[in-house]
Amino acid sequence: MLAFIQSLLDGILLGGIYGVISIGLSLVFGVLGIVNFAQAQFMMLGMYAAWFAWDSLGLDPILGVPLTGAVIFIIGYAIEKLLLQPVLKAPPVAQIFLTVGLMILLENAVLLIFGSSFKSVVVSYQQSGLKIFGLFISVPYLFAFSAAVIVCIALWLFLSKTWFGRAIRATAQDENAAVLCGVNVKQVYALTFAVGVALTAIGGAVILPYMTVSPTVGGQFAILMFTVVVLGGLGNVAGALVGGLVVGVIQSLSAMVLPVQLQNLILFMVFIGILAFKPEGLLKEA
Amino acid sequence: MKFKGVTLNARTAVYLCLAVAFLIPLGMDPDGYLLRIVSMVVLFAAMAQAWNIVGGLANQLSLGHAAFFGLGAYTSTLLFIRQGISPWAGMLAGGVVAAVAMLLLSIPLFRLRGHYFALATLAFAEVLKIIAIHFADLTEGPTGITIPYGEPSFANFQFESNTSYYVVIVALFAVVSLIFWKLSTGAMGFRLRAIRENEQAAEVSGIDTYRIKLGTSMVSAFTMGMCGTVYAQFTYFFDPESIFSMTGISVRVALICIIGGMGRLWGPLIGACILIPLDEIAVNTMSDVAGLGPFVTSVILIAAIIYEPRGLISAWERLRRRAQKKHAAQSGQAAGAV
Amino acid sequence: MKTDLSKELIGITGEFKGHVPLLEVSGISVTFGGLHALSDVSFTVEPNEIIGIIGPNGAGKTTLFNSLVGLQKLSSGHVNFDGKRISGHKPHSIAAAGMTKTFQNSALFPGMSVLDNVITAALLRNPLKTARQESEKVLKKLGLYEVKDTDVADLTFPQKALTELARGLASGPRLLLLDEVMAALSPSEMDDVIGVIKEIRKSMSVSFLVVEHHMRAIMALCDRLIVLNFGKKLAEGTPQEIAKNPQVVEAYLGSSASVLGGEHAA
Repeated sequence: MLAFIQSLLDGILLGGIYGVISIGLSLVFGVLGIVNFAQAQFMMLGMYAAWFAWDSLGLDPILGVPLTGAVIFIIGYAIEKLLLQPVLKAPPVAQIFLTVGLMILLENAVLLIFGSSFKSVVVSYQQSGLKIFGLFISVPYLFAFSAAVIVCIALWLFLSKTWFGRAIRATAQDENAAVLCGVNVKQVYALTFAVGVALTAIGGAVILPYMTVSPTVGGQFAILMFTVVVLGGLGNVAGALVGGLVVGVIQSLSAMVLPVQLQNLILFMVFIGILAFKPEGLLKEA
Repeated sequence: MKFKGVTLNARTAVYLCLAVAFLIPLGMDPDGYLLRIVSMVVLFAAMAQAWNIVGGLANQLSLGHAAFFGLGAYTSTLLFIRQGISPWAGMLAGGVVAAVAMLLLSIPLFRLRGHYFALATLAFAEVLKIIAIHFADLTEGPTGITIPYGEPSFANFQFESNTSYYVVIVALFAVVSLIFWKLSTGAMGFRLRAIRENEQAAEVSGIDTYRIKLGTSMVSAFTMGMCGTVYAQFTYFFDPESIFSMTGISVRVALICIIGGMGRLWGPLIGACILIPLDEIAVNTMSDVAGLGPFVTSVILIAAIIYEPRGLISAWERLRRRAQKKHAAQSGQAAGAV
Repeated sequence: MKTDLSKELIGITGEFKGHVPLLEVSGISVTFGGLHALSDVSFTVEPNEIIGIIGPNGAGKTTLFNSLVGLQKLSSGHVNFDGKRISGHKPHSIAAAGMTKTFQNSALFPGMSVLDNVITAALLRNPLKTARQESEKVLKKLGLYEVKDTDVADLTFPQKALTELARGLASGPRLLLLDEVMAALSPSEMDDVIGVIKEIRKSMSVSFLVVEHHMRAIMALCDRLIVLNFGKKLAEGTPQEIAKNPQVVEAYLGSSASVLGGEHAA
């Protein structure tokens, strides 16, 4: 029983992170209407940015979140303006293959710059843990989860309290109406994409204390992110958070009985199952 | 132009040149590097043509055709090694396995928007890679499979000369292209075009869009499976990473079509003639720089999407039309001046 | 002698089977997230009838058409075509049964010529060769033969609407649903199309359900009218009866002159 609760707890701590890295994917789809196949590569970029800040400045990855977020925000903004804007009105084939191209581009650009070796950080709390009621809570997992929660609250405040956040939500609901209300839709697209990839990057940065990074780390998370957003309903931001928790728990519980390498297989079955039976996601009732 | 009673128009001239071009490699050194590259070009053209059937005709954008490629390679190779079944029969079996996999994958996906098909096919290839790596009893695991070199014979799909492989590969390309051509012309061509342009209107006009898309994608998977067998027999070795590779296979075959022209009969061959030698040059001259090859591929892909998403064939046609218009305008002006 | 016999036979079978209308719509409703787009609509269409569906914007006319041809799922009720249940079937099998529709905002296949658009539908009942001949016949009838090789993207609005009509006819329907095919036509073009539709009814024995905003066209074309308002059937009757119906007048927010006589005044 204790093992089960422990697993559940681990799953929730993991799932919060999965939620944060996947929110960006759902947000970008909800507003721009494109599936960003390169989303997981922005997580990898975030991890490298955080590692670089730690390596050169000695900055803790979690404290460095604002810096990482800002750097990836700028990169994301530039990419949207230069590459995505031209294909936003193009047929799906152009949109899909543009982001696929971006995925390969980012992965190999990082490979060219940093090489293929694994990078990791050393922080004081790396090995520490808490024992409560016989349950073990790893401190780096707890820190990462807390950072994820704070980022989610910040996003929620941004989307509901600021003018720009409201403009983003208005555009997601009805682009034409947003234009009539004086929203510069092109600007909203660029900023949404920038915010979306920055969120994913931050999700990557905060897990750096317990996760090594290499150029291909994004690929390991791609199926996971697809499953999360499909569970929550593609384009549904709150759904992505719920989907993240569900996937975290599924993964953690399945690890009790199945080898780790097969977890993506489980996720894929969940993914296909959801598409077959509840394609609008768990949150929307049929 | 009349030539001994035979009217030689531009089209037949092009086809004649093409036929000759396919014959030239027969005279190349069978053990040479050049023949190997030419064979690879035609093999990738065949693979891209298989993708073209589902991506170009049915407008279902698969990002995981490596899955069907790998299923074909594994099926025929395992049947050959373990049961001694001729790879020719294995090729058909592999095609069937690939087609059935496509059927199971498509049933839940075709009612949804195209993004989901792309997502799911991509994930499917990744999952097959995991299975191939993990279930070593079935698949020989992550080290891959080396096909034992036995007595060269037609039944064993093993030949002494690489020229024979070239002939087989050209035949494969011809078969896949013939299937593509059959589907893109005639009544089925009308139906597929209608589905591509407006699915709802096609359905209301009496076209069973679901069944046609399903059938077409299964044909695509079947032919891709066949390519997998031929690839395995040609290279004698493959492993899960390379055969189920997203950048190496899935995205590459789509990119070949995009460069040449999606949904066009000659798009895959034109795309392969450009991309495969380019990749080869990148690998040979800069093999010490990891990641440069795929980096170049991705830059080409992005540039192609932004500047000429309908491929070189369309670009060429547009240039020609413009030239004709200009010509017409000039002669019109001349007439006006008189 | 011969005709008498066949009449008698029809009489006999008619007695055995009871009367079967071409289309029988029984209490159909469609809801979008709690909103009633259609509620409890019933009516029938007889062979060779032309029936107009009128009503203010948002009355549910296009939703009605979409639910009849299978593009829209029903929340309740059912539809029979030629005595057979078709509600719940897919659009292509409903088209094969003999009912199809045109699209309000032209949903032609771009990048294909007028003839190719029409052939695509004609393939439902013909092999390619005869499909081509049939399509050319339909295009001649609608005065589109001259533009048959034009890409539909380059057509004028009236030509697009007529091509929609041609494509609908080419699939060989027994009931064709026309969703505002005359919206972009000039009065004289409208008269031509009205003539063609009436002629087609006679020569090909096709029935029509027509949604149209031009009251003049509706009055000239239709045998009966069905009035929809807020998704409900408000009234049904001959054009003359409808023009005098006080409820209908009320629904259109004004005097009778602005409803059905508006065109006369204009």
